[in-house]
Amino acid sequence: MMLTCKIYSTGSPPKPWERSGGEGTSGPAPFKPPSGGSTSDVVEASGTAKPGENVTAAERNVAANVNSTVSRPMPQRPWQQTGYGNTYGGYGGSNMYSSYGGYGNTYGSGGLYGNSMYSSLGGGYGGGMYGGGMYGGGMYGGGMGGYGGYGMGGMGGMGGMGGMGMGPYGNQDPNSMGPPASPPGFWVSFLRVMHGVVNFFGRISFLVEQNTQASYFFMTAMLQLFDRSGMLYGELARFVLRLLGVKRKPKKGSLQGPEAPMFEGPNQQFIEAPKAGNNWDNVWGN
Amino acid sequence: MPAFKAPAPGFAVRFSPFHENRLLAAASQHFGLVGNGHLIVLDLAAGGPGAAPAPVFSFPTSDALFDCAWSESHESLCAAASGDGSVRLFDAALPPAQNPVRLLREHAREVHGLDWNPVRRDAFLSASWDDTLKLWSPDRPASVRTFRGHEYCVYAAAWSARHPDVFASASGDRTARVWDVRDPAPTLVLPAHDHEVLSLDWDKYDPSILATASVDKSIRVWDVRAPRAPVAQLAGHGYAVKRVRFSPHRQGILMSCSYDMTVCMWDYRAEDALLARYNHHTEFVAGIDMSVLVDGLLASTGWDEMVYIWPFGTDPRAM
Repeated sequence: MMLTCKIYSTGSPPKPWERSGGEGTSGPAPFKPPSGGSTSDVVEASGTAKPGENVTAAERNVAANVNSTVSRPMPQRPWQQTGYGNTYGGYGGSNMYSSYGGYGNTYGSGGLYGNSMYSSLGGGYGGGMYGGGMYGGGMYGGGMGGYGGYGMGGMGGMGGMGGMGMGPYGNQDPNSMGPPASPPGFWVSFLRVMHGVVNFFGRISFLVEQNTQASYFFMTAMLQLFDRSGMLYGELARFVLRLLGVKRKPKKGSLQGPEAPMFEGPNQQFIEAPKAGNNWDNVWGN
Repeated sequence: MPAFKAPAPGFAVRFSPFHENRLLAAASQHFGLVGNGHLIVLDLAAGGPGAAPAPVFSFPTSDALFDCAWSESHESLCAAASGDGSVRLFDAALPPAQNPVRLLREHAREVHGLDWNPVRRDAFLSASWDDTLKLWSPDRPASVRTFRGHEYCVYAAAWSARHPDVFASASGDRTARVWDVRDPAPTLVLPAHDHEVLSLDWDKYDPSILATASVDKSIRVWDVRAPRAPVAQLAGHGYAVKRVRFSPHRQGILMSCSYDMTVCMWDYRAEDALLARYNHHTEFVAGIDMSVLVDGLLASTGWDEMVYIWPFGTDPRAM
């Protein structure tokens, strides 16, 4: 390795927390005592090392199924199904075959991504380079190269374009004995562009996801507020109607008016008193 | 000191563990969605006190950079986590033509978090959206080990500050997991939040204490010996909390940044936990760090392309 810089014998200067006591303020931690030697040696001595292991889409799915510790399974995301980088860069890699199985799963069950083109392909082992599910059930090159023959690039995407021509991809099928992949042509560069596009939307959706929850909370709170304010409004409406009822009652009461002289002191008192009493007593009635 | 204007939205900052005036920053064009990344080493004392930080090393990369970390073993070595699934090692002492000194390409999807072992100082971890973590040693061309178990993207990894073999990871499967590099499976699966866990860090002074930050806007502090309920819950951010860091100098002090565009300081053991709130950024704050060499020196970067460095208790913009 080209490390020409000065190398400290013990690495970086001591950390501030190393000068404090060995154990924390709340007692020892529940971990096994540390091992001696370098980290790589420790890991290798433990027998858990698997150096240089590449992660593929298929392996990921298996791992997720085995270690199911969370009660609710996480939904699969559009980009989880193929590992675009892998499938794409490594045409003919061993994960082609298994990622095909992944298609069936996600596309069939999800229903989110439009019709599954892949199931209709039957034994198209070389199938499915690109399932850009988000893009309107578009399949960027759902190959049918079962026999190393040919691949079909389909793009039923946003623009509603139908199948778009044939691609030279039949020979990615690991089971076929076809010739090696042809040098990158138009379709390869096209798919590379699509890869960038899919990556772009993948990252957008992450960003959106991280903020959606907060706006969801906000909307829920608003809806609850509206709900409650609806009740409040109902109460207020009843109250106001009662008050309006107050104004109607004097019209009935005004029948009394002609009988009694309006502007004489004793009568005025007489009229005022029951009016106030009756109306306010009944405001909250029934 | 005045702020530094990065060439692109900032994603991460890290103080050097060797030089108090060195700061590493990762920035990515177009908010990390598409385009190039930049790894920048800033010299905070370039123009004397009060002058703006100056870049002493700048390297553009072909894909976005989401995180960066200084080596704890070589003073000029640093690592960057790239959106194309690679981890790149750079030597800031070498000319750009000889960089990156190592290109580690094993993850199938974006690498979102890096952390260098601060105890044994010879290895680092990468956390990726392919649901795995990988352990690397800078003297090896391939990963030492892959950690599987998370069911969704892993956003962050953090080594214990006191135990050389223990680290924790934060994932979108709503758990934080504690691992021992010698064990095949996680030693603790902590269902930490009801939503994605974006970041976590260990208390440097208490090896059992862990803080997690989540999309549910809260930070929770956990004792791994009693993981049933959090020790403390810190509410105050208005949106998802992007990163959380424990102070290297003071026990119980936390720094956090959020999509609500603020940086907050907390003392989780105090009744009134929120110590300070900084709203100097005008966009999402994506990266924070606390200097391990200078007590109270803070740094933050965000999508407004600014990198701020300021001592605790002062206004970042006033410096």
